[in-house]
Amino acid sequence: MILLLPTFSLGFPLSAPTSLLVAIFVPILGSFFLLIAGCFSTRLRNLLALLMVVTPLAIALQMFPRALTGNIARVFVALPFGFNFSLVGDALACFMAITSCFIGSIIVLYSWGYISHYENQNEYYFMVVFFLGSMMGIVFSASLVYLFVFWEMTALASWRLIGFSRTRETVQKADKAFLVTVFGALVMLVGFILLFGQTGSFDLATIKSSLAGRPLSNTAVLLILCGIFAKSATLPLHTWLPDAGVAPSPVTALLHAAVLVMIGVYVYARLFVATFTVAGEWHTIVPIIAGASTLLSAGAALIDNDLKRIIAFSTVSQIAFIFLGLSVGSEIGIAGALLYILMHGMAKGGLFLCAGIVEQNTHTKDIRKLGGLIHTMPVTAIAFLLCAFSVMGLPPFGGFFGKFMVINGALAAGQYWIALTFVAGACLTLLYLLRIFAMVFLGKAKIPKEEQSPLMVFSVSTLAVLSLVSGVFISYIATPVQITVHQMLGGAQ
Amino acid sequence: MTFNALLALIALPIAAGALVLALPGSGRRQQAWLTLLATLADLALAFTLFPKQMSYSLPWAGGFGFAFALRLYHFSAFIVLAVGGFAFLISLYCMAFMAGKHLNNQFYSYLLLTVGLVNGAVLADNLGLLLFFWEGTALTLFGMIIIGHRDAYKTAIKALVISGVTDLCMMFGICLAYHLSGTMMISQISLPLDTLGSVAFLFMAIGAVSKAGCMPFHSWIPDASLDAPLPFMAFLPASLEKLLGIYLLARIALDMFRFSETSWLSPFLMVLGALTILLAVAMALIQKDYKRLLSYHAISQVGYMILGIGTATPAGIVGGLFHMINHAMYKSCLFLTAGSVEKQTGTTDLTKLGGLAKRMPITLSCFVITAAAISGVPPLNGFFSKELVYDGALSRHWIFYFAALLGSFLTAASFLKLGHAVFFGKTNPEQDQVQEAPAAMLFPMVAIASLCVLFGVYNALPLRHLIQPILGSARMGGHNFSGAPHSTLLVSLTFLSLLGACLNHRWGVRRTGTGLGAVDHIHNAPVLFPIYEMAERRLFDPYDIAMKSVTSLCEVAFSLDRAIDWLYDVLVVKLTYAFTQRIRELHNGSYSTYIIWSLIGATVVVVVALNGIY
Repeated sequence: MILLLPTFSLGFPLSAPTSLLVAIFVPILGSFFLLIAGCFSTRLRNLLALLMVVTPLAIALQMFPRALTGNIARVFVALPFGFNFSLVGDALACFMAITSCFIGSIIVLYSWGYISHYENQNEYYFMVVFFLGSMMGIVFSASLVYLFVFWEMTALASWRLIGFSRTRETVQKADKAFLVTVFGALVMLVGFILLFGQTGSFDLATIKSSLAGRPLSNTAVLLILCGIFAKSATLPLHTWLPDAGVAPSPVTALLHAAVLVMIGVYVYARLFVATFTVAGEWHTIVPIIAGASTLLSAGAALIDNDLKRIIAFSTVSQIAFIFLGLSVGSEIGIAGALLYILMHGMAKGGLFLCAGIVEQNTHTKDIRKLGGLIHTMPVTAIAFLLCAFSVMGLPPFGGFFGKFMVINGALAAGQYWIALTFVAGACLTLLYLLRIFAMVFLGKAKIPKEEQSPLMVFSVSTLAVLSLVSGVFISYIATPVQITVHQMLGGAQ
Repeated sequence: MTFNALLALIALPIAAGALVLALPGSGRRQQAWLTLLATLADLALAFTLFPKQMSYSLPWAGGFGFAFALRLYHFSAFIVLAVGGFAFLISLYCMAFMAGKHLNNQFYSYLLLTVGLVNGAVLADNLGLLLFFWEGTALTLFGMIIIGHRDAYKTAIKALVISGVTDLCMMFGICLAYHLSGTMMISQISLPLDTLGSVAFLFMAIGAVSKAGCMPFHSWIPDASLDAPLPFMAFLPASLEKLLGIYLLARIALDMFRFSETSWLSPFLMVLGALTILLAVAMALIQKDYKRLLSYHAISQVGYMILGIGTATPAGIVGGLFHMINHAMYKSCLFLTAGSVEKQTGTTDLTKLGGLAKRMPITLSCFVITAAAISGVPPLNGFFSKELVYDGALSRHWIFYFAALLGSFLTAASFLKLGHAVFFGKTNPEQDQVQEAPAAMLFPMVAIASLCVLFGVYNALPLRHLIQPILGSARMGGHNFSGAPHSTLLVSLTFLSLLGACLNHRWGVRRTGTGLGAVDHIHNAPVLFPIYEMAERRLFDPYDIAMKSVTSLCEVAFSLDRAIDWLYDVLVVKLTYAFTQRIRELHNGSYSTYIIWSLIGATVVVVVALNGIY
């Protein structure tokens, strides 16, 4: 794996299909080697783990400009019973891969500092890298069968990661997360089979051409949505997400902010926006579910007192914005949703990692016991505030554009009341994020502890600064996103 | 080169602000000098660009109607010039006032960033860009309050919540306007006020009037007056936010929507304006702190501007806009006088002040001029703008006129009380050695006070060159409002109310023997006293009321969420156990039972298979 990287730097790009395979299988297979490497040297293992996450990032970055021009990488291996193995690296896949691997790399970097106090570090890095590799599999899959296989691999990895500390409580929460998401996935599998019955194929391109614009059967849509909502923690299948906050902070950042919860959203975009057409009523039903989800979880976030649970509720609430953008069926909404996947991922990842610094140094997550930390942890406090501004959707931070375009999208589709509901949800976002900022970082110092690991502080500052920079230089991000949306809707599968 | 100039109005203050923040060391002089130079450059640029009309556009944020479009024309040029002027004078004032204060590098930086953002919002010709800069000012507002002192964060958060929530409302309005008109270019939008159009107008107006500090979005301002550094009050709530808020209100009323007397929004705005005038001035009347008293007037005066624009008549709109610039001048000057009193005596508590007239004569003169201007004493600027607002209000309904006039009476009464308590009466022995404020603080005050006189005596200058062109000749319909007010009736009633205020003050002073107690008879009046008591205990703070109701709604949401969680944690588990228990009971180890089960199963298979064959 290490030998692969020089080929990039020397300017000998791998052939497109090979790089797709490398992006998926270097992390998945490589993760097993981390277990061995860890027996020799922790440094080597840590470095390898980072390299294995950076590899797909580099590949996706290199592939993205070509994908935007319509030069799309594909892998296709014919297998019997409709189990054709096929991968596609179009603009949407590259965008998602860049987002999750980028945030994933920062989280791995942060883990170098955070996880060094824990036992079973080998297992930790193994699972994280395995998880990101499976995510790459989902992102690049062009076949429902393999999409499902990689989907369940992420469920397995997240089960171990949530229950990482192996206490009775964390194992219970991990089981809950696993059972809910796998239940959803199995229901989704039935949906896939129905779809196979309707079209005779699991391959997305074939399905698309055989449907030829006819809408998918409503039963299949409903079943697939169950899986998506369970994975992306949307009402009423969301309660496992706040509970999963018992995991180590980098894990919560990885699962709740950047990667795991984005799987459902991504698959929604991949299936219901880029591949199928669904009956018109879904353009109202999904936004209504999302609207209820955003209000309920934002309300819960304003009442709860556990720092990580609040941020997790906030994730549930913000994912609803992404669903809204994707589901109302207007171009600006989809673009806003994609932008928000990136902006929210960075900012929310930053929030969780800041919470990790606070938790590790003060040994509490109860915001009523915290206070005044801005005096002892100034960098963390500022980073938290900047990330919070981005999640609130205040300019010049990146989150502003995501929210603004999503609301625009809802109105462009004529959904006035739903748009208003989401504006109310955005107001609540402002309230609960300011509430935790004030209770944790301002006021009287109750547990005056300092930041310990410079690496962790560096990671959160990077995310905070990028949240700001991405908003100021929005054109460089929004233009490729717009082309991606065109590609998704234009049928250049 | 022209596009560079427009961009420079935004980029120069922002770059300077970033530089100030990056410079090492808090409390050094170089930050102050850099700020002064940057604001001077901004003012000079605004001045040279003032007579020009230009626009500039860049693609931005990947299409979808977004564009980095700026437009300089007489209205935006006027506001940009005013912003430059206030920024320069206030940073000059800060040279002396903020010297050596804690975290003053952040203050300077936020000041410059605010100038850049406000310039951006004023120049923006694209709804997305407008919102981008507009909401950005909420962050610098937050920053400027939070550096006040250790517990100032509560007010800072209150301010950010109020402006954040109203900005989100404005975002909804903007999205709706974009949806209805199909374009984000402000200069191309002209929407009718039908149902959806009115909703869009309403939501955008919420953003605008909240920025201006109108009720019920006002309650952070009196708190900030005590918590934030004083120049902040003169800079944002007194001047820049009024300019920005009323600018946008005028833009949406005059350009973006076809706003007229027939729309329900016109009486709505007028009622909002009238209520703001009366309630805020009633609170101002009983304040016992220099800065807090002024801050309530900063709220009350917005009412005149909104009332004026809400009338939708030429006289009212011109009056409202004229009042906007007049208010920015006299109110920032009044805050600056409060600052010089605070700097020299160390307090703004009216019970501890008194008899400063001899010791601070220049501050006193500036106070007298600007207090007279805000009370509407001729021939100062406030008199002329109020007369125009009265004119517009009376042409709609006498009740609005009456509210505005009553507001003026109370304004005059409270300024008589304030001036008496601070500058006359008995001297506090501790303040024997007090001296006049330093020149860097006096110059901005004198400059603004002189402008108040100029804009009053020679009101053709602002009216003909700055304000009437905003409405355009078609809307003006041949009117010209410069010179003396044309209605003798209105002027005589104004005189009567001012006379009433003086008599009221005389009577109150005689009753209590102090200037501070001059309005105690109103404060202690039978019905008013309990209401005042409740207001002082913050029972009417709309922010607190809203937060309480939101919290109780959220508690419902939280319980609902817990209920859903119960389904998974308890119900599903119990059902699963009950189900498996049944299954287990079937497996009781008896061969006969198993054989029966097997036979039933085999029969089913056979039946199904036979069905398949035939």
